[in-house]
Amino acid sequence: MPRLERSQWYDLCRDMNWSFKYVTEAEVFPEALSHSHGIPPADWWTWDEPYKITYREYVQNQTRKEADVYSVRSALARAKFFENLDPGWKAAIVAHYGAIAMPEYLATLGEARMGRFGRAAAWRNMALFGTLDEIRHAQIQFSFSHALLNKEPRLDWAHKAFHTNQWGAIALRHLFDDMLTANDAVSMAIQLTFVIETGFTNLQFLGLAADAMETGDVEFSTLISSIQTDEARHAQQGEPTLRLLLEHGNKAEAQRLIDVMFWRGWRVFALLTGAAMDYYTPLPHRRSSFKEFMLEWIIKQFNDQLRDVGLERPWYWELFLQELDWLHHALHLGTWFERRTVWWNPDAGVSFAEREWLEAKYPGWHDRFGTFWQTIAENVRNGDVAHTHQETLFVVCNLCQIPMCSPTIGVPPQLVTYNGRVYTFCSDPCRWIFEQNPARYAGHLSIVDGFLAGDIQPPNVAGVLAYMGLPPSEQGTDAMNCAWAYEQPQAAAASAA
Amino acid sequence: MATVPLQAAFRGDFVTLLVLVDDEDTMDVVAQKVAHHVINRRLPPESLCMRVRYNQQVLSPDQTVAQAGILPMSFVEVFYDAGVRSHAGMDRGS
Repeated sequence: MPRLERSQWYDLCRDMNWSFKYVTEAEVFPEALSHSHGIPPADWWTWDEPYKITYREYVQNQTRKEADVYSVRSALARAKFFENLDPGWKAAIVAHYGAIAMPEYLATLGEARMGRFGRAAAWRNMALFGTLDEIRHAQIQFSFSHALLNKEPRLDWAHKAFHTNQWGAIALRHLFDDMLTANDAVSMAIQLTFVIETGFTNLQFLGLAADAMETGDVEFSTLISSIQTDEARHAQQGEPTLRLLLEHGNKAEAQRLIDVMFWRGWRVFALLTGAAMDYYTPLPHRRSSFKEFMLEWIIKQFNDQLRDVGLERPWYWELFLQELDWLHHALHLGTWFERRTVWWNPDAGVSFAEREWLEAKYPGWHDRFGTFWQTIAENVRNGDVAHTHQETLFVVCNLCQIPMCSPTIGVPPQLVTYNGRVYTFCSDPCRWIFEQNPARYAGHLSIVDGFLAGDIQPPNVAGVLAYMGLPPSEQGTDAMNCAWAYEQPQAAAASAA
Repeated sequence: MATVPLQAAFRGDFVTLLVLVDDEDTMDVVAQKVAHHVINRRLPPESLCMRVRYNQQVLSPDQTVAQAGILPMSFVEVFYDAGVRSHAGMDRGS
C-alpha cells in the first residue's frame, strides 16, 4: 500500500460531511445548539483552517509538552521555589488558579459543543482537538495548584472558587456561562476563539509566561507557555466561522457577537490582569504597564483582526480607551478594601517607588487614586485596621457583576426596569448587552440581589463572608502585611538612590 | 419604620455602595450613614455640612426618606457643601 503525503489524504479523511436521509438537518443540528444562521449545509462544508494536524501528530505533540512541563515541576519541587517567590507574585498566581482553572473545564464543554454541533466536519475535527486541549488545561492547572497545597492551602480555590458565591467567582461564572455553557456553536466560535482567545488570552498568556520567568517563577512560566501553544491552534476556529457568516450577509450579527464579548472580556481582564500587572508584579520585573500592554498588543492585534475580516471596532471603543486609564486602578483599590472577600492576599503595590511608577505610567494617578492610599496608610500607621476594611457591599452591575466603580461619582448608575424588576448597570455597554437579550440575563441574582433577598444570613459582614465560602483562614490579607504604609519618604528616596 | 436599601456614593470616592437606611431617617442621617463607609477610610473628613442629592435635587437636611419619596435601590449622592461649615466640627462620618 503506497504511503501518501498528508496533503494527499488529509482533507478527504477529515471532511466526512454528508446529506441526511433518515433524519432532518434540524434534528442532527438543533438550531439552539448549532445556529446555522441560514447558511446551507454545503456552504458550511467549505469551512477550513490552516493547522491541519493529524491525531497521531496531536498526541505526539501533547505528550512531549506534558513531559516538558512535568519535568520542570519535578526539578523545581526540590528547589523551594514557591517559598522564595515575591508575595505580590504569589497573589497573582493564587488569584489566577482560582479564576482560570475551572473555566478551562467549562471551555472543555464549549469545545465539545463545537465538536458535536459545528456545521462542518473540518470544524468538528479541530474542536475535538480543542476539547482535548481544554481537558489538559484544566487538569494540569488543578495538578500544579494542588501540588502546592502544603505551602498555600488557598490554592484549593483552583477547584473551589466556582462552587462558591464569592463575588469574583459569580462574575466569572456569569461570563463563562454566557460564553461557553449556555452558548451555541457558531456564537462560541466567534466569542470564545476569535474574541477571547485570539483577542485576549493568547497574547496575555505570552506576557504572563514572560512575567513569570522574569519574576523567577519558572514553573508557572513553563505551564502557561505550554497552554498557550494549544490556544494558538484551537483559537483558529473563529476566523473561518466568522468569514462564512460575513459571506452570507450576517455582518450585523457577527459584529454584535464581537461587541458583546469584547466588552465582557475587557471587564474581567481589567479586574484580574490589570491588578496583576500594575500592582502584584514586583516593580523591578515589570516590563510594561497594563495600559501599554493593552495598547501595544491586545488593541493593535484586535484592530488588525477586525480589519482583516472587514468588521468595525465595537461601538463603545472610545469609552473602552478611556477606561484603560482608570478602571483597573479602581477595581484594584476595591479588591484591596474588600480583601477579606478574596482567596488571595492582594498586594497593595503602593510603596513610594511604586506610586512614582504609577504616576509616570498614568499621569494623574496620584490625584485620582494616590490620595485614597494616603488615607489608608494613615489608618494603618494609627492601628485603625477597622477603617481599612469595608463594612458594606459594593453595588455590582447586573450584567458584568463587577463593582460599580466610576471615574465620576455622581453620575447615577443606569437603571432598567424589566418585568417589574429594576436592574443596575455600570455602563452603556453592559446595559446594551442586557437589552440585547433580557430574558437571557434577567433571572440572575447578583451578590447584592442575594443580600436583599435574604439569602445572606446574618445580614452582616460575617454573614457575607460565610455566604462567599470564606472562613477566616481563607480570607485575604495584605500581601506585605501593610509594610508599605510604614515606609518613610526619606528612606524611600535613599533606597531609590 | 422600614429599611430602605440605597445605591449610594460619596462625591470624590470611587465606588457605589449598598447602604441601608430607614424610611424615617432625615437626609442628615442618610448622609452620615453613607459617610460612615467612606470618610476616614478613603477620604479625609472636612468641617463642612453634608448634603444628599437625589434625582438631580439637593434635598433639605430635615426631610425624611419617605417624605422625599426615595424608593429602594434608588441612587443618592452625598457631598460636602463647600458653602456651609459644620457646627459639629469635622463630619467624620463614623
